[in-house]
Amino acid sequence: MYGVYDYDFKFENEEITLGVEKKGGFLKYTRWLGNCKNDIVEKILASDAGKIIVNPVEPLNLPKEITNHLEIQFEPVVVEPNSFKKIYLKFPIEIGVFAATKKSIDVLDIFSLNNQKYSLYGPPDSGVICRWHKSDVFADIPKTDLLRDGVIELNIQNTSHEWVEVCRVVFESYGMKIYYGDSVSMVATIRIINRMVAETNFANKPIKDGMKKSLELYTARRIPVVERIGFLMEWGLK
Amino acid sequence: MIDIFNIVLYGEITLWDVLVVVLVLILSLIIAKIVTLNLKKILSDKVKKDVLEIILRIVNYGIIIAAVLAVLPQLNIDLSGLLVAGGIAGLVIGFASQSVVANLVSGLFLMIERPIRIGDQISIEGVSGFVEDIHIFSTIIRTYDGVYIRIPNEKVFTSNITNYVANVARRFEYLIGIRYVDDANKAIEIIKKVIDAHPFALKNPSPTVFVDELGDNSVNIRVRIWAPSVVWYDVKMELLWKMKVELERNGIEIPFPQRVIWFGDKGGVKIESGEDISA
Repeated sequence: MYGVYDYDFKFENEEITLGVEKKGGFLKYTRWLGNCKNDIVEKILASDAGKIIVNPVEPLNLPKEITNHLEIQFEPVVVEPNSFKKIYLKFPIEIGVFAATKKSIDVLDIFSLNNQKYSLYGPPDSGVICRWHKSDVFADIPKTDLLRDGVIELNIQNTSHEWVEVCRVVFESYGMKIYYGDSVSMVATIRIINRMVAETNFANKPIKDGMKKSLELYTARRIPVVERIGFLMEWGLK
Repeated sequence: MIDIFNIVLYGEITLWDVLVVVLVLILSLIIAKIVTLNLKKILSDKVKKDVLEIILRIVNYGIIIAAVLAVLPQLNIDLSGLLVAGGIAGLVIGFASQSVVANLVSGLFLMIERPIRIGDQISIEGVSGFVEDIHIFSTIIRTYDGVYIRIPNEKVFTSNITNYVANVARRFEYLIGIRYVDDANKAIEIIKKVIDAHPFALKNPSPTVFVDELGDNSVNIRVRIWAPSVVWYDVKMELLWKMKVELERNGIEIPFPQRVIWFGDKGGVKIESGEDISA
């Protein structure tokens, strides 16, 4: 399903129906999920030539965009001092549909087959609202449903001189680099500074060779972003 | 022509000097307008609206004040003299325009302390709504029913301000009554499932659902939920009805107020003295 298409295309499976077709002299984008034709999304494309790009995007837009942070909770991992450990987690996927011409790109639609849940990381006065997801911990790349889950390769780096228990990781969306192919992936690092504080960031590389890079939402929306080091988890790791 | 410009207005000040001052001031106003307009274009998608407003005002007034200071020597105005005169004039102006100055100073402190920002939902002295703008002298509120209210900054600064969205998350609660015959544990389980299914009912801090009191007509279940401040009212509106529907779908009803009346064996009303009153 992911890829670049000409305007006249249609994708259909049991869960998703989407495409662009000519209707009444207009090009019309249409999308619905499952059999819910009541919740159909339709948009007229006022454009003659261009492409439609469909790819996984940062999972922080539904049902309404209220945060830039993603929190993944997992079963506790106790990391020994001054060590490095690689684990794999799953993250929820949101699918972005973009209309692209030579000069510009814009977001047509964002949808997901997952339910959403949000959470607060930190105290109410200074914490951050996060999209929340619970994942199992995997030693190897797990099998996933390409339209529902992605895989994060999480490199845990304990730079402290004590054992540290980690059971959640919080990321900021601006650094997310999503790649897709036979799976959807991100590569991230959590650098543990002490039992309470860690720093997370993303690496701009796929989990496997041959994967394509997703178009990021903040690029499509032309949101200027100052290059950041990462997100500082200062309210605990469990 | 030159003679007209050289007409002495007072002291050594000629018409030309005054014209130069007026022209510089007009030019500074135009420059301030152009600079702020361009800054607005450049920064509107990079900086938050309330911060941008403050930046624009500082730049605007900064350019004008700089221009005024630059042209004062043209009028032979000595700033050191102004300081002495300013002390006396300040006293006079201060007494004459106490409230104006108080509003101005309060406005400056509001911009520094920033207890409220443009777009926040607040309540001040019984006025609730969205902060539309924070001017130098006043704060503009748009009430929830769309009414424009101007509050002097002195009042804003000295009043208790309730800012509903200053923190990223806030809690709200319901009190749900169920019948005495219903299973309260089952009701709590159902309510928790409804909360869990709502995306913006926060996972952490976790919601609390418990039997709070045994009321006159119902067993009262207290429900406390945290939600992101920006959407809390939407969540509050959506969840209560969903809970009611889900409870009733599972056979748990929300009772009407009721009073149990006991009748005597022979159909009379049993009273404390022991004597029955015949029906």
